[in-house]
Amino acid sequence: MKAWQRSLVSACALLLLFGGTAYAQVSDITPVEFSYTGNRTAVWIVAQLHTLFGAFILGAPIFVVISEWLGYRKQDLRYERLAKEVTKVTVVLFSMTALTGGLFIFVLLSAYPQFTAWFINQFHLVFAVIYPSLFISGTIVLYMYYYTWETWKGEKKGRHIALGVLLILVGMVTLFVINGPTSFMNTPPKAEGVSSQELLASATLWDKIANQTWMPLNLHRIDGNVAFGGFMTGLIAAYMFMGAKSQEERAYYDWMGFAGNLIAVGATLFQPFTGLLLAYEMCDYDFSFCPYMMADQLSMFFEMQGAMIGLMFLAINYYVWLSLKRIEGVEKVRMTILVPIVMVAFPFVMMVVMNYYWIPDPMSLAFLLPLVLAPFLLGRFIPWTVSARTVMKIGFLMVIVGDAIWLTPHGFAATGAKMLPELELPEAWGFLAGMPGKLSAIFTLVFVTVFNYVMYNRAIRQGIIVWGKIDFASQFVLIFLAFTSIWTMGLMGAVRSLVRKYFHTYGLVPDFTAESFTPTLSYSAWWITGITVVFFTILSFAVILTLRPSDAKKQVPEGSPVPARAK
Amino acid sequence: MWNVIKKLSIGLVVGIALVGISRALEFPFVFQMMFFGQAMFGAAVFMLLDAPSVRTMSGAKSVIAIVVFYVVLCTVFVSGASMWPQFDPEDEKGKIAKILKPKLAATEQGKAEELIARVKALDEQVKALESRLMSLGGGRAVKESPVAESPVAESPVVSKAAAGDFMRVGEEQWQLQECYNCHKLKGEGGKKRGPELDNIGSYLTVDEIKQKIMDPKSIMAEGFEKEWEKGKMPDKFKDVMEPNDITALATWLSTFKNTSVNTPKPIKKK
Repeated sequence: MKAWQRSLVSACALLLLFGGTAYAQVSDITPVEFSYTGNRTAVWIVAQLHTLFGAFILGAPIFVVISEWLGYRKQDLRYERLAKEVTKVTVVLFSMTALTGGLFIFVLLSAYPQFTAWFINQFHLVFAVIYPSLFISGTIVLYMYYYTWETWKGEKKGRHIALGVLLILVGMVTLFVINGPTSFMNTPPKAEGVSSQELLASATLWDKIANQTWMPLNLHRIDGNVAFGGFMTGLIAAYMFMGAKSQEERAYYDWMGFAGNLIAVGATLFQPFTGLLLAYEMCDYDFSFCPYMMADQLSMFFEMQGAMIGLMFLAINYYVWLSLKRIEGVEKVRMTILVPIVMVAFPFVMMVVMNYYWIPDPMSLAFLLPLVLAPFLLGRFIPWTVSARTVMKIGFLMVIVGDAIWLTPHGFAATGAKMLPELELPEAWGFLAGMPGKLSAIFTLVFVTVFNYVMYNRAIRQGIIVWGKIDFASQFVLIFLAFTSIWTMGLMGAVRSLVRKYFHTYGLVPDFTAESFTPTLSYSAWWITGITVVFFTILSFAVILTLRPSDAKKQVPEGSPVPARAK
Repeated sequence: MWNVIKKLSIGLVVGIALVGISRALEFPFVFQMMFFGQAMFGAAVFMLLDAPSVRTMSGAKSVIAIVVFYVVLCTVFVSGASMWPQFDPEDEKGKIAKILKPKLAATEQGKAEELIARVKALDEQVKALESRLMSLGGGRAVKESPVAESPVAESPVVSKAAAGDFMRVGEEQWQLQECYNCHKLKGEGGKKRGPELDNIGSYLTVDEIKQKIMDPKSIMAEGFEKEWEKGKMPDKFKDVMEPNDITALATWLSTFKNTSVNTPKPIKKK
């Protein structure tokens, strides 16, 4: 797609946005009936697609600029090439974000005209001025960043990186601004003893934006977007690796996949915790959210989430396993026996400690920190060691155990109201389904992954990486991670929306339509899969369009100093 | 092949051991199967770890492999999600309609819908009268006022309450607002999140219960200091419930005076 075509698409999208905002002011609009999907699902599809494209164009620049800076600092051309290739895809997807954003407003408006008019009036300044202005600014800065790549080289590189930082800042502000209305729908401002309607009448725009879940949502999405950018880079690298014609190309895309995945894993390790913070704030806002999510209508969505995150952590560690295989001399790497001992003991010790000293009791840290640090502090004094392979296998075992704990529910019933004794966890084992159990499972997954990467780091210091010689199965692992992370995003996005129950905006605007109910997990899974497939199809098309092998060939000199055997 | 047999055998042994242990510990059958499934899944993971390398593919072969992989992923994710117990939306639909009925009636849309319903009812009554007149052959129909007979004009809640069915409305509100999720009553519901309420009528009057529902911070149950501090009881009911419904719920709750149940003592905070 040429620059003028992209500009045209962006302009159309902005027109849709402005038009939608203006049209929302017209009173007495009759809702349109979306056949087959229904109105709620139609809005869901477009909103989720917009969120996915938005996540890419906000997450990718963070990733790209860090990569460009690393390339400049280390004088490593691979980082530079990675940054430029991901930017090319980002430029194409930027117009898709604008298009789906404009479409989202129009679908929302036609499906729920009264609510949309009310909602736009609440955030008129945001929808009519701030968000479009930020979007236009973002577009300008992105194009400037892309088109000055060749001219701002060498001594001017710092200027180009600064422009990239500006792009990240604009993206962040855009995310923060749009998270205001999004989080407002879940947790509008409230005060003790005052009715929500009365409070809303006197609330300023800032009061509405800075609601209780705004900052947790910002943190969760920033972190999520970085992970998203990394996983997408891994996906691009996997496609290119599979299409590579030469060993040199394979070596480069193997490296790119590893680098993208590394950043994604780093961000993913924080995802459960920022997610917990968001859930905590939701429950603190209205405790009825908590049983609705964890024990009743949405409880099985969380079971599915546990399964997906467990699979993701298995895949992350499997990728490290396959990466270790391409390091010559890895068989000599050994670790203290304390590592597998701590890995095995960790979930059980944590579960016990958390049952006695719940967060934020500092006593829990007094027990757990020494346990986690024991391999680092005491390892050198203990003569027994085990091979890297054994450590990893024990790590895999503990990931399976951790996921088994995460997946253990209070009972196999979709709601607490329908729980039968033959489906319920025995009371004596109830702690497995409680928060201490879940937290110990999450920490085990994170802990094992961190140790595996520490071991990988030790392996590359002692051995030699043979880039491009990675097991071909690793490319499917990268694709799996990208697909699964997006699917999980869709699932948790559905949970965040459904928590509003029968309200468009919780406690303020009820949803009187016939679609105001909690859908089944199965129905949701169909649509989440469909949305993910559509996004992947467009993304794959964008990758093929911008980075097709003929282009890659031309770029060989740029990233060519990729030794097949290098650290 | 030896790798597969070995891992499968270990998985089976571990799985059977887990089933045996969990049966001895009186885990329900469904949990025993879950543990067995996890042991087999673990075996599959270890098979994968020691599996031979996949040969490098290129061109059409790799494209086909990617497409097949996506199809497998989609199938596994959708079927995986469908295997969990599914919430039946029908359980909720009637409840939501009842909760939202008074709110809908207060909106322009609700008023319009009520008007349409009344017009339809009138239309049917006119038709019925016409046919009656036809059969009688008279012309007295114009003197009768169908509006006065319309049952739609009255609020259902008020009419039921007026008919002395206040208790039933209160009990219905207990179900609709899902109070049972946190409070135990008549031995049902409750997850120890809130106090058991079987003896609440001995401690609080109808007005005090109403006050607690509308402003949860106004009264604290003894032994629930942490929950009160954190504001675990939602303060949304003043907004989502109609005043009549709150009164009905409070009146119904005030009838529970079972002294054999240890309902914690309420402490007034406001």
